[in-house]
Amino acid sequence: MLDGVELCRRIYKYALATRISHWLWVLAFGALVSSGMQIFNATSHLDASDASDPAHRVLSIDSPVDGLGTATLFGHTFATTGWLGWTTDGIGGYAARAFPSWITIPAYQDLADGRRWHFFFGWAAVIAWLIWLISSARKRNLKEIILRPSDLPKLWPMQAYYLKLRKEPPPYGLYNPLQKASYTAVLFGLAPLMVLTGLAMSPGINAIAHPLTWLFGGRQFVRLWHFTGMILLIGFWLIHVFQVATQGIVNQLTSMITGWYRPEENQIVPGKTT
Amino acid sequence: MKRRLFVASATSSALVACSPIGTALNGSGFHRLLTVAEPLNHALIGTRGLAQIYPQSAISPDFPVNSLPTPSSAQYVGFVATHFHSYRLVVDGSVEKPQAFSLDRLQAMPQASEITRHDCVDGWSAIAQWSGTRLSDILGAVGLRKDARYVVFHCMDRDERSAQYYESLDLDQANHPQTLLALRMNGAPIPADHGAPVRLRVPTQLGYKSAKWVQRIEVVGTLAKLYGGKGGYWEDQGYEWYAGI
Repeated sequence: MLDGVELCRRIYKYALATRISHWLWVLAFGALVSSGMQIFNATSHLDASDASDPAHRVLSIDSPVDGLGTATLFGHTFATTGWLGWTTDGIGGYAARAFPSWITIPAYQDLADGRRWHFFFGWAAVIAWLIWLISSARKRNLKEIILRPSDLPKLWPMQAYYLKLRKEPPPYGLYNPLQKASYTAVLFGLAPLMVLTGLAMSPGINAIAHPLTWLFGGRQFVRLWHFTGMILLIGFWLIHVFQVATQGIVNQLTSMITGWYRPEENQIVPGKTT
Repeated sequence: MKRRLFVASATSSALVACSPIGTALNGSGFHRLLTVAEPLNHALIGTRGLAQIYPQSAISPDFPVNSLPTPSSAQYVGFVATHFHSYRLVVDGSVEKPQAFSLDRLQAMPQASEITRHDCVDGWSAIAQWSGTRLSDILGAVGLRKDARYVVFHCMDRDERSAQYYESLDLDQANHPQTLLALRMNGAPIPADHGAPVRLRVPTQLGYKSAKWVQRIEVVGTLAKLYGGKGGYWEDQGYEWYAGI
């Protein structure tokens, strides 16, 4: 299908709304994780129980004595001094503080300010998501990114290609099957989950929508899901950045800025070319 | 490959860069812009619905105490020693008939009881049964004047700099059927640590609204002239006045 002439062509892959949303998410994700850790620091444990029963403690980040930091996950305690529990306080010293100052906004302990950053960028992320969703739906681009049953048989061949167990990737369109799976999971799974769990933690929302908080198992469970969602998003982000850096970084970054992308040989893509 | 690794690590450190950049923006125009989320949240959530009611079995065995220290003034110590016999809850300001309520009088009014969850802004929750007089009944008894907009709660606790605790609600929040002046906690008079003799309970908002050791309720038209002007002890230190989220 592709001949030699087509190898140097470029396609207009990312619409303006997609690019704007992408970079807004970059900003919002950093601010939300950092301010979220600031908020977590105010009560540095997660319970699988609304009665805050210590027997149902999933994660606890503590400083049993000054100078020692520990993290306890499912009852197993690890020494984490300097990284978790006993960390830099952002004002020149060390303190009993779950997450260190170099990852929280603001650096020093200030729950009120952390909340302000979190709510602002929560709104920013939701608005960016709506811009992307509406624009993509109008341009009929959603079908390119949403994982379909027909993509399932291609998931393993694509993974095998990445693991160098296979020389050629399977043919695919604008996004490869693993990209489709992860983008679908993040954009339509994790992102809404983070918004819903964020809302379900709030007493005002709880009063309006009892089933929402009930669905997640109560306010403390909601906190646990919200935190778990953050860990999964950080996992996605690490893999995403690694892939961008190793799969033609100039092409990848240029395309997310200008929209124009130089496809891989095996990509079957329609649309405008240069 | 080295360049790739460099770019990968530079991109990854973007997350770590958030903290110093965010901290450096303190006090800037952008930092002030962050406050637009509060009116949005207030408009979206407002004061609707009823807080979740729990069964007796859900009551927390150990309800945390996380507030300013229990008052140690001679007046408060005297109140405790005499079982709050001489305590009066003063209700004044923009009201038709300012009054001072004794505990006996508050107890003689219709009593409401609810098992609700207390959501601390720090992230923990605890459940207890709270019983007492609906704030709307008190406001009805004194009658609001036309310029009434906010209900302010002056409390007996002080911080280490002797700053007095206070809180405020708008009239929607104050007249919410679950907003109580609680006199009893889990079936017994409220313990001193939990705000005896009268503690405000606002189960639809975060815990800092549920002021302990309430001594005076003042109805006002604006919050700007009281204390730090932001409508509450924690609000004066940067927390949102709207505490539904």
